[in-house]
Amino acid sequence: MRTPVRHRFVRLLAALGLTGVLLLPTLALPARAANPLVLRVGTLQSPDSINPWNASLVVEYEIFQLNYDLLVGFGDDLQPTPGFAESWTQSSDGLTWTFKIRDGMKWSDGQPATSEDARWTIAFALNSKKAGTTLGLGYIQDYFVDAGIDSVVAPDPQTLTIHTKYPTERVLSMDAPILPKHVWEKKSAATVGDFTNPAPIVGTGPYQAVEWKTGQYIRFARNPNYWGNRGAADEVDIRFFPDAQDTMVQAFKRGELDYIRNPSAQQFDQLKALPGVTAVEAPATGFTELGFNTYAKDIPGGGASTKALRDPAFRDALGYAIDKQAILDKVYHGKGTVGTTMVPPYYVQYHVDPTSPRTFDINLAGQKLEAAGYVLNGNGQRLDKDGKPLNLRLYFPNDEPSYATDAQFIADWFSKLGIKIKSQGMDTGALTDIQTAPEYDPKAKANYDLYIWGWAGDNNDPNTLLKIFLTSSIASAGTDSLYSNPQYDSLFKQQNEAPTADARKASMAEMQQLIYDQAPYHILVNDSELHVWRTDKFANWQQMPPGTGTPLFVMGALNYTLLTDATAAPTPAAPATPAASAAASAGPATVAPVTTPTPVTTPTPAATPAPAPADSSSGGTLLLLGAIVLVAIIAVGLVAWRGAASRRRKKEDEE
Amino acid sequence: MTAASVSSADPRRQRFRLRIRSARDFAGRFARRPDAVIGLAILVVFCILALIPSLLVGPLETATTASGSALQAPDAIHVLGTDDLGRDILNLTIHGTRISMMIGLLATLVTIVIGTSFGIIAGYVGGAVDAILMRITDFFLVLPTFVLALILAPIVLDLIGSDALVFGIRANLFVTVIVIGVTSWASTARIIRSQALSVRERMFVDRARVIGGSRLHIMRRHILPNVVNLIVANTVLTFAGAVLTETTLAFVGLGDPFDPSWGQILNAAESRGAPGLGAWWFFAPPAACVVFVVLAFTLVGGALDDVLNPRARLRR
Amino acid sequence: MGGRYLARKLLQAIITIAFIILLNFLLFRLMPGSPDRVLARNLPLDVRQVLLERWGLDRPVFPDQFVAYVGATLQGDLGESFKFQGVSVTDVLAERIWPTLVLFGLGEMIAIVIGLALGAYSGWKRGGPVDYVGNGISLVLYSMPYFVIGMILLIVFSGGLGWFPTSGMLEMGATYGSFVDQLLDFLSHLALPLTTVAIGLIGQYSILMRASIIETLGEDYITTARAKGLTEGYVLRRHALPNAMLPAVTLVAINLGYVIAGAITVELVFGWPGLGTLTVEALNSRDYPVLQGVFLLLSISVVLANLAADLVYGLLDPRVRT
Repeated sequence: MRTPVRHRFVRLLAALGLTGVLLLPTLALPARAANPLVLRVGTLQSPDSINPWNASLVVEYEIFQLNYDLLVGFGDDLQPTPGFAESWTQSSDGLTWTFKIRDGMKWSDGQPATSEDARWTIAFALNSKKAGTTLGLGYIQDYFVDAGIDSVVAPDPQTLTIHTKYPTERVLSMDAPILPKHVWEKKSAATVGDFTNPAPIVGTGPYQAVEWKTGQYIRFARNPNYWGNRGAADEVDIRFFPDAQDTMVQAFKRGELDYIRNPSAQQFDQLKALPGVTAVEAPATGFTELGFNTYAKDIPGGGASTKALRDPAFRDALGYAIDKQAILDKVYHGKGTVGTTMVPPYYVQYHVDPTSPRTFDINLAGQKLEAAGYVLNGNGQRLDKDGKPLNLRLYFPNDEPSYATDAQFIADWFSKLGIKIKSQGMDTGALTDIQTAPEYDPKAKANYDLYIWGWAGDNNDPNTLLKIFLTSSIASAGTDSLYSNPQYDSLFKQQNEAPTADARKASMAEMQQLIYDQAPYHILVNDSELHVWRTDKFANWQQMPPGTGTPLFVMGALNYTLLTDATAAPTPAAPATPAASAAASAGPATVAPVTTPTPVTTPTPAATPAPAPADSSSGGTLLLLGAIVLVAIIAVGLVAWRGAASRRRKKEDEE
Repeated sequence: MTAASVSSADPRRQRFRLRIRSARDFAGRFARRPDAVIGLAILVVFCILALIPSLLVGPLETATTASGSALQAPDAIHVLGTDDLGRDILNLTIHGTRISMMIGLLATLVTIVIGTSFGIIAGYVGGAVDAILMRITDFFLVLPTFVLALILAPIVLDLIGSDALVFGIRANLFVTVIVIGVTSWASTARIIRSQALSVRERMFVDRARVIGGSRLHIMRRHILPNVVNLIVANTVLTFAGAVLTETTLAFVGLGDPFDPSWGQILNAAESRGAPGLGAWWFFAPPAACVVFVVLAFTLVGGALDDVLNPRARLRR
Repeated sequence: MGGRYLARKLLQAIITIAFIILLNFLLFRLMPGSPDRVLARNLPLDVRQVLLERWGLDRPVFPDQFVAYVGATLQGDLGESFKFQGVSVTDVLAERIWPTLVLFGLGEMIAIVIGLALGAYSGWKRGGPVDYVGNGISLVLYSMPYFVIGMILLIVFSGGLGWFPTSGMLEMGATYGSFVDQLLDFLSHLALPLTTVAIGLIGQYSILMRASIIETLGEDYITTARAKGLTEGYVLRRHALPNAMLPAVTLVAINLGYVIAGAITVELVFGWPGLGTLTVEALNSRDYPVLQGVFLLLSISVVLANLAADLVYGLLDPRVRT
């Protein structure tokens, strides 16, 4: 009978051992130095990559804007300010820009940062594009490519010369980072997108990423060699909450976060009322739309279910059956504005309101349908011009709960017109695949009718939104409505090469009215950015644009450097960089040199960087270890379970 | 041989009378267990709710027909409050009953059909067939079925097409049925098989074989009736498991927002931040329903198993 | 312990693992669509081609892809995540496995100790008020999805009373005076999810133990022992418990499936950065390689765990070794 005692002892030992092993990892958690001042930011997005060539999400842009400088930065009123370049001039014929690169600037690893780095970065993007190679996902590369640059030279370490194909100011607003040549030059263009760009990142921006835990957070330490303002934060932590909006808000309420982006509308209202908290609803660069499959050619065995979708009169009539205000109120709880044109009001320089906007009037919609040749039959069904009852599929991606609700509303209203709607949510990838045409993939069938989705534009330029309706986007799978209109294509070229902002606006106004009338999209709502932050830890939150915008997740990282310590004794405020007062005007423009901020000494980095998983072998061993422990845990559970079970069930056969 | 073959009507009537008596016997024993009665009562209530939801609370409220304003706490008009679109939670929950129970039922059917077939065939035929079938069954027992379900869902959805309407239910929900059925049959198969094994040993089966009945005939006419008891008990318990699994799958995001089950309502509550906003009424009703239904099934199933299982009688 | 028993069990485990790898491969081939779907819209055609080549999807299924797949898996290469460009699945899993192990392991140990004890006590005192209350509570807990338990605890103890933080494993950006401080913060984040997992498991273990105790109490030898005049306690320890230690294979497997599902949803509710949240994230972003990596990891672990449990029984129960 000695077995029970021995078993009990063994079990106890095993339990203790297992507990100890399980708690060991806590020792490996990165240690912190004493009392750094940390800015903790929360966002719903989680970056897929911190390689800037792969940036597509807002959070990914924010990350590279902290790490790296843009050639020319953005002031709070979106005017050009010093970035990698200190100042710039344009030649009298408008075809040459000369940038002065700051003397003595260093990369965060101590290497000198010169015009050669800028030249190399821009040339790398341009040359790869010419050779037909896309760098990473291609969005960042396009900023360089679309700026109309012909060639770039670095005659000396402090001078960068850019020759443009036509007079343009676009070189001042390229939202793309200048990368350190000595880190990146060995990468080949075809595979540069695979480079994980592991922390610690080398850049000239105010903060450098030192640790990235995928799906959880990314930590930045202050760049000891930064040339600009010294922000109060020693460390910046951006924490990700994918599918965990409520968790993010709870964390903010408990003081675990200092700043959050996009809580829900109701959460936002609740947080607004709290003391010591500022909440701002700012116009966003994006919108939500009801889109149509407007593909104008027949596809055997595919295509839209009716030719009516190709008819602008049909699409226009349907627009009168959409109560955009109701959608804004009920689905988005008033956060946002009623949708109009595809250039949202956020772009104050370019947005125009449509002449004679549509109203919500179901009867009028019915009349317009009749007038366009779509009549009702005896059963109350609306027929198309081939005499078939209209039975439309309405798809939407299921990663955004509001789309399903929008679909319910649309289906309800259209049913009053005798049009039957069948709604179906689907995976974003599946939907993207469906919305392709034979020009992109010969096997594509474009089997869809209506859909609900959204777009977000760049902070400084609506070009990405404009490109949606280009004919060329059909072949590059850059459009989901497969719209084609030669008039629009030539207008786009006009605005892209416009010499001044006013000329550009004129072209864009025509484009907006055209798309509004033709209605390949009905823009339902223009989104709002909902940002909330505490004011008792950091102060001097500047908004971009002033008064109406948000401090963070905007163009560049200027506002991070302007933050002050709210609890510290008042010191003479760091001079806010005065933006160039000259409004965009035709002809050569010079930028007044900015007053240099207090010279930065070299402070000690606050956070000790934790080693990023460098190679697979360490990950593999760690996983193997973990798997062994997992097996042990499950085995213990099984043994205990079997031990507790009796011969209750039929005696099991032996195998 | 003589008396029985002369009056052929009698054995059948005798069998009928025997069945009535054993049924009454069973009912009595069942009714004496308080847990069984409570469980049954709860199930009856939910069955009624599932069958005639519209009669009780009107049609399912949609975004456009929402009757209240967003996230109202329970009051006189909306007894269980409203969700973030202003829809009455009572309305949603009762309609959700229909979806949850229906998916549970269909999934259970699939599970039982597959499991019973495997079990009976393996148990009766034996030999190599038994070995192969049991290999497959053991394989499925070992797999982490929940993760498998997550992986299978998009595959099945792709196979049947997102638009499809099978037996009047939308593709999403049908996928859940298939996926639960395919991943849960293994334990049923095991249980049925062992019962089939023991039945096989009994005398009348040998008699039937001597007379010359085919295997299928024997399986259908002799083995099946004797495992029915076990199947019934197992079905009820499987139903509980199916409801739990469906709720969890919907909570994780595989539900259908147009035909919300309880799990889907819970998913909506979680993603709208209801716990943080203090809107307990958004998720308490569907959660309570899940718990009640699963509890009821467990109680009834356990009671059934106890009552129908001969060993239990001896101990009393 | 018999060598033949060991060999047979080992062989079975290896065959099962082989089938798991085959199944995994088939699932991967059946996955709808190509990898680049996960990435942002407007993917240029040339990038798409590069990705297809990199993931080897332009080569025929048999034998090239299959052989490549098996070879890679055996070497520990589980492919690359679709979502995180350039990061291997192995690394993704390695990062997220430890939080799950801590949560699950500690929860299970607590649950086993408390659950078995509760169940045994309840079974022994069958019919008494303790039994009814205890069994009732266990039944209710058994019927609750784990995430419901979690949400209740979250609202009461975190949202309401504010005793515990709402999510995550550690407070980010916090400064720790010492290791003890760090440990305390970790433990305060661990408390609620751990309690949830423990409660859920206790429900299952106690019910099982109770039923089994009741079962064995009916056995004849117990009656005989009592007839001999031995005390209740002695009988329980010496006769009831040890003989209740024999396996009932069918019940085991059902339980594990729910537990894994439960663990995933608990992690989701508490934002615990383990394999569970990873699975849901991978599901939502259709990151199939990661999903399959989790599946592979879990299923092989379960097979090996069963093997280990079988070996343990080889030691404990002489009757099993044939």
